[in-house]
Amino acid sequence: MLPVRHPQFRDGVCNDYAAMDLIGKERDRLLQRIARLYGLSFTVVSLVCLLIPGAVDSATLGICLPLYAALAFMQIRLGSSRSIWWIIGAFAAALAIIVAVAVLPAGGPGQAGISAIEQLAAASIASLAIVLTTEPIRRTVLAIGFVATSVTATVLLAPVQPPFRTIGVLVLGWTLTTIIGFWISAGVPQAARRIASIGRAHRAERQASETEAQRRQGARLLHDTVLATLTLLAHSGVGVAPEALRQQAADDARLLRQLRLGATPTPEVSGEYKLETGDDTVLGRTLESVKQRFGRMGLEVSWHGTGQVLLPTEVLDAFLLALAECLENVRRHAGVTEAHVTITDDETTVRAMVTDAGVGFALDDIDSARLGLKESVVGRLREVGGRARLFSSPGSGTTVVLEVPR
Amino acid sequence: MTRSSAEENTLGVIVGRGRRHQSDATARVIRDATPRRASLGTGFIGVGAAVVFAIAAVYRFVWFIGLWSVYPEATLAAAAWAVLILSVAATLLVAYVIGDQLPNWMFAIFLAGLAAAVALDLTAIWPLGDVGRNATAALSAGMALIIVVTLRRALDIIISAAVLAVALATAIIVNSSLAPEDLASQVTSFAFAILPPLLALAIVSSFRRLVQIELDRVLVQSTVSAPRFAVGMMASEELARLDLAAEELLESVAAGRIALPLAPKTASVAASLATELRLHLIEGRRETWLYHAITESDMLGKSATLIDKGSLAGLLDAGQRDGLLSAAWLLVSERGPSPSSRLVTLTIGPATGTVETPIGRQLTVPIVITTAGIARNRVDPAIWEAIRKVGQYSDSTLNSSLKVDIECLVDNPADQ
Repeated sequence: MLPVRHPQFRDGVCNDYAAMDLIGKERDRLLQRIARLYGLSFTVVSLVCLLIPGAVDSATLGICLPLYAALAFMQIRLGSSRSIWWIIGAFAAALAIIVAVAVLPAGGPGQAGISAIEQLAAASIASLAIVLTTEPIRRTVLAIGFVATSVTATVLLAPVQPPFRTIGVLVLGWTLTTIIGFWISAGVPQAARRIASIGRAHRAERQASETEAQRRQGARLLHDTVLATLTLLAHSGVGVAPEALRQQAADDARLLRQLRLGATPTPEVSGEYKLETGDDTVLGRTLESVKQRFGRMGLEVSWHGTGQVLLPTEVLDAFLLALAECLENVRRHAGVTEAHVTITDDETTVRAMVTDAGVGFALDDIDSARLGLKESVVGRLREVGGRARLFSSPGSGTTVVLEVPR
Repeated sequence: MTRSSAEENTLGVIVGRGRRHQSDATARVIRDATPRRASLGTGFIGVGAAVVFAIAAVYRFVWFIGLWSVYPEATLAAAAWAVLILSVAATLLVAYVIGDQLPNWMFAIFLAGLAAAVALDLTAIWPLGDVGRNATAALSAGMALIIVVTLRRALDIIISAAVLAVALATAIIVNSSLAPEDLASQVTSFAFAILPPLLALAIVSSFRRLVQIELDRVLVQSTVSAPRFAVGMMASEELARLDLAAEELLESVAAGRIALPLAPKTASVAASLATELRLHLIEGRRETWLYHAITESDMLGKSATLIDKGSLAGLLDAGQRDGLLSAAWLLVSERGPSPSSRLVTLTIGPATGTVETPIGRQLTVPIVITTAGIARNRVDPAIWEAIRKVGQYSDSTLNSSLKVDIECLVDNPADQ
């Protein structure tokens, strides 16, 4: 089967029909559970009445008990199934009980037997009305059920109880359950509409949140310098001139403030910060800021090769970040104070080679994740279509080659 | 020199650190959206309860009229009805004016009114010695509790109904004949007074649960239109908070308010800020819409597990996402007796290759839905329609539980 395209989803508009279908199912489940609880409660009350001595003779009771069990089973099942057969089964079981209680005892049922019939006819199976309000066909079943129950109960109880009394309690019971059914059926779509409008607001909020996070995360170069400064502070600022560190902190705080106020600042040449305007940025100027930062932290970086390469902003960001991470590794682990960066470019690729004459390491010994390479260097370069290669051996320094497409 | 400890890599990320705590966005949105507990449809249900009470009360009042000649002291019973009607009317009025709420003082007045009605009615019929056949206002007082079911906590209703039950039962036992021919009317009258508030309580809490589930589903639905990788709802707030904290710290350093070199305590603050900021910048965008959908949802979060090592869920288009989410939802919401035993695992990928289709070259991403404790024949049929939106599928049974293999075709990101 071919994948089915759904143009209506393209704008993020969810399928309203499917949503209404789902809420319709939830509504039916709710009505079923209510009908089960309501029905079972009054089935128990009816059974309690029937068990009172003098309600019916023991032979009739013996016939009725299995019927009560059947009724309760049907009511339990219709709580979790939408099938109409459980409803019809419950009707049949209840009518059978009513007939048995009213007809079988010699001399008619006792007062408790009458009560049992009333509880059964006016409440226990009236509960079925709760699940019979949602569709025309079910409403027809509801009408038939009400008429059948009323006629049976009223006619059979006529010898022992005035008909208007039986009719009265039956009308009350069935009216109440029908209202409950209709009212909940109407209440659910109302709530669903309110919820849908909350959902729309939430979708807008999610998009806004996404955009804002993107803006902040997009300011990578800024966060890069902020993180470098925070790392220095985390080491109490030891090894860096206090004045240089204060200057760096002031610059970074200013950039963060700009970010907070809605701009996307990019650190450029020392001391001078401008908002970025173009899509392409000159590599050379930004390389200078990286060099200066590492200079403050005690790693002398020497640049070789071209400094005038134009790159799209996101590629440049990834490239510089990877470069800065490599230099950070040199500063932390190589045990030297100097590193060389050679930038070359051709038609398709910009390449940076970061070299140090430090302690080096055996590639097999080092978990690359521990070097921060995997996340920060390889991952970021891959996102813009670039790659990184690492060459090192103990005692002979380290070389990292970073490549990004132009 | 560096002081990085063994459990920290050069980025300052602490290795082996567990996922940060995800804030419960759903609960937050619900809280924001429903400042009043009774809103979101329960107000409408409350009106229905008042209608039901009115009808039942009219029925009992007709009984009362019919019994008028029987009462030795009919005025007391009439007074009971007057107190009951006044209490109910005042309560409904106050709730309407204040707006779907019932303050404690009004609830206290309401309960006092009900208690007075019960006391007056029982006093009026006491000499007759048959509470079951003659009580009217006292029984309607129990029914009256249903009008406050949407306005008060469940416990308030349960306690009130329990107190009434004890009072009525005591009156019946002390006063009335418990002979077999009279017992049934005692039982049915007692049930008439006590069952309605309890049933109403069950109805309202089921309704509230439905609203909660629907809200959860609708909120999670918004992930369907999210980009391939997305931050969660809280990410930008968190990032803004961290940026602000960093800004304040750096400013204090720049202004000389914090002396250099830093005190160890401030240094550790800077270290943890850096760590958190790195986590947010590096890890934040690596999650797909499906991850966010599952973690943000109360329902899915509890019972669905996602295995998506290649973050391939992000490649699904909105229609496929909607189908997959609906399918997961339908499986999880098939609530059995023990919801915790129903677990759904979604395994996505690895991609198996590309195929030529009329709409271009597409990547095949296998998706496997495994379930625990969900039999094939108990599944909602709507699930198959939802899964069909995701792709071609085949279903089987594994450990007597449903397993669905879906072959999902997506646009290849390498071709774009």
